[in-house]
Amino acid sequence: MTAKTSLLKVILLGDGGVGKSSLMNRYVTNKFDTHLFHTIGVEFLNKDLEVDGHLVTLQIWDTAGQERFRSLRTPFYRGSDCCLLTFSVDDNQSFLNLGNWKKEFIYYADVKEPEKFPFVILGNKLDVSERQVSTEDAKQWCQENGNYPYYETSAKDATNVAVAFEEAVRRVLAMEERTDHLIPTDTVNLHRKPRSTATCCS
Amino acid sequence: MAADTLPKVIYEHEGVFIHSNSDDDGLEQDLLLSGSLRIVDKDGEIIVEYRPLEDSVDPSNMLCAGKDSSSVMEWAQCPGERSHQLLETQQSYETEWDMVNAVSFKRKPCTNGEGTLNHSHERSRWAFSFSISDLRSITIKEEGWSYLVFKLKESSTSLPALHFHQGGSTEFLDSLRRYSLLSEAPDDDTCFLVSTPNRALSQSFENLLDDNNFGLVHKLKKDPYVTTLGSFSKVTNYIFDAIRGSEEQHQRPPEEVADLLGEIIPGLEINQQEEPGFEVITRIDLGTRPEVQRRGPLSAEDWAKHLDPEGRMLNIAHLKQVIFKGGLCHAVRKEAWKFLLGYFPWDSTLEERKALQRAKTDEYFRMKLQWKSVSEEQERRNSRLRDYRSLIEKDVNRTDRTNRFYEGIDNPGLVLLHDILMTYCMYDFDLGYVQGMSDLLSPILYVMENEVDAFWCFVSFMDQMHQNFEEQMQGMKTQLIQLSTLLRLLDLAFWNYLESQDSGYLYFCFRWLLIRFKRELSFQDVLRLWEVMWTGLPCQNFHLLVCCAILDSEKHKIMEENYGFNEILKHINELSMKLDIEEILHKAEAICLQIKSCKDLPHSISDILGFTTDAAEPGSQESPRPARPTHQQEAFSNGHGHLRETSHNSCKVAFIS
Ligand SMILES: Nc1nc2c(ncn2[C@@H]2O[C@H](COP(=O)(O)OP(=O)(O)OP(=O)(O)O)[C@@H](O)[C@H]2O)c(=O)[nH]1
Ligand SMILES: [Mg+2]
Repeated sequence: MTAKTSLLKVILLGDGGVGKSSLMNRYVTNKFDTHLFHTIGVEFLNKDLEVDGHLVTLQIWDTAGQERFRSLRTPFYRGSDCCLLTFSVDDNQSFLNLGNWKKEFIYYADVKEPEKFPFVILGNKLDVSERQVSTEDAKQWCQENGNYPYYETSAKDATNVAVAFEEAVRRVLAMEERTDHLIPTDTVNLHRKPRSTATCCS
Repeated sequence: MAADTLPKVIYEHEGVFIHSNSDDDGLEQDLLLSGSLRIVDKDGEIIVEYRPLEDSVDPSNMLCAGKDSSSVMEWAQCPGERSHQLLETQQSYETEWDMVNAVSFKRKPCTNGEGTLNHSHERSRWAFSFSISDLRSITIKEEGWSYLVFKLKESSTSLPALHFHQGGSTEFLDSLRRYSLLSEAPDDDTCFLVSTPNRALSQSFENLLDDNNFGLVHKLKKDPYVTTLGSFSKVTNYIFDAIRGSEEQHQRPPEEVADLLGEIIPGLEINQQEEPGFEVITRIDLGTRPEVQRRGPLSAEDWAKHLDPEGRMLNIAHLKQVIFKGGLCHAVRKEAWKFLLGYFPWDSTLEERKALQRAKTDEYFRMKLQWKSVSEEQERRNSRLRDYRSLIEKDVNRTDRTNRFYEGIDNPGLVLLHDILMTYCMYDFDLGYVQGMSDLLSPILYVMENEVDAFWCFVSFMDQMHQNFEEQMQGMKTQLIQLSTLLRLLDLAFWNYLESQDSGYLYFCFRWLLIRFKRELSFQDVLRLWEVMWTGLPCQNFHLLVCCAILDSEKHKIMEENYGFNEILKHINELSMKLDIEEILHKAEAICLQIKSCKDLPHSISDILGFTTDAAEPGSQESPRPARPTHQQEAFSNGHGHLRETSHNSCKVAFIS
């Protein structure tokens, strides 16, 4: 491929067990593995896609949700272009913790303008019948906390997963267009490090 | 805090307390206010910040009550108990019921009440921060723990003393020393006067070098002396890069990530030494790696040969040696692991072991009863227990689910895994449950096929692994530093390469070390590796040499493909389930012999591997001290000197000091 491609780094954050790894795997490999292990350490997967004519390599980072491992995951927040804050609709506590995850991300990612940073909120496990978080409550939280896009997803039956990741890409691209920083590099090695984010020249 | 400039964290420690009774807030109790202390770099200005935790779960929540037999719990009401064995065991507790009451939980006295510190606005008034250039002095006091009193230059208000109940004061002072000079006050040796160097100078120095070198300069600023020494290898990196014609751009995020990781694992980018002074290994010729051979696993028959008529184990050193060389047949594991893990003493008789198991069974079920009999109401008021339970439930569902022992929905293996982990929380409530522990338990339970034995074997294994899981993960930090030290000795070029890719702190080995390769190998291979490790042969910290062996096999790929920070991490993660255990063990043993036969090993290396030259008892070894091997073809040392002399392995060690 010789087209213009940007490498975007997105990071999945949220409580342990909400389905971050399952979402990543569903999106990248289109599989749902009920035998998946809980995450230890940090992992990432790449996925190429095209959004509105832009070729993009998404680098999706997945971390362990437990508090104890905080100091080992936070360094990886740096350089993220988008953050997917994830909770599970059948776990109210994971919803209540969204604010903390957002705070943790902003603090450690060293985001220059937190109000403008593209967050996307995912309410996962839509397929489960015993909901603890209503769509209205979730939407309201998104509205009040920065008017973030909200998607209800199911990694299990693939509902809304691709749509949510693509929205994340759109948000980033829109951000960069707005700030007039979108300078895609030609034929970059897709497996190299992310290109510097738009804020690096400030 | 200023909203626009986000700081770079240099030091961070939670569990730093303010004793809030000392001033005018009118509270009678001596409330401990838990918070986190940070040193941050905000655009070159070094700031010390203290923030109370908003929703702290602090250890002062938990109270150990004395035995109080007047409030004995009614075990008979314990719901849903269907295990025949448990009911049977419970009969024997009648005289010991007060044990059940030995641990109780105190609710935080001030969770919702009026005027309590838990309200965020109340708490936030305890937050403070100052620039270190405004700091006049720090007084260090000891009261069984350390606490620090800060005095600012131009301020009459005094800051509350910070109490380091969970350690961290030394690290705090060390971090400060990177940016300021602390000199003892002439009249008071507990007091240090603070002076900050001319920041403009170091700033301009940083500007001399372009962005690519940010990481190095940053380190240089932090610790000029040590970095200068360390940068010898840096120089070679740059030459290396130039020769390779790499056009690759070092971009900020991975470097910054590396820098942050370097803060978490302090000491990695520099040479870690116990002794004062600096010992930098620049070049060491280890000689050729010797040939070693592995053998087949120990059979049930051979195991039985090591039993005397009363059931004592004979010729233990030889036995361990055989297990190290080839592992165990599966049939032997159930018995042998109990010895290897230290649950059964090697010199015990069969009768003694039966008595031990009886006692341990009682003890186990007593602890199991403790969480089994907590009512929903109680649990509602016990956030720590609730959190442990919820984590365990989530993780049990995600541990080895393809293994026949844990597959399907209603597999009893899952219940046992759950119950043992919950009981371990009662055994060690401070640690509780941390992710990764289910991985450590699963193979043990699989082999034991018995709840009580699995529990006690797990306890022994956790004794070795405990530090990995503690709040500050000190065990992980120590191991990463040790691994880095070993790798530098074994393969300086590769280590340099990793450093040049901001990966010298070896973060990518985190999962390997936390759960001892549990996720990297097939289940059967994990069993093999672990039993080999538990022999304590052929040296202390053998698992670090296992890491070195794997890295040794991967280094060509990593360097040839010119992998960067992210790709190294990805490559290592993806080795999972592709490794060959026999090949790795083979290489790791060879590396051990290679290092051992080197005459002038740096102390740091001998300390890590337990190669002490005199007969002195090695201090605190992680694994059981290896016993003296009997005469084997591969005469190798047992960790107490006794090196085999060969002609080709004289070593050249160069030190810069
Ligand atoms: N029904 C249902 N279950 C799901 C869904 N997504 C994930 N799960 C299950 O929820 C559990 C947790 O999923 P993970 O993907 O491991 O969660 P995680 O957020 O990565 O958790 P940590 O790695 O511990 O931080 C697993 O048992 C999954 O099978 C979903 O959309 N629907
Ligand atoms: Mg995960």
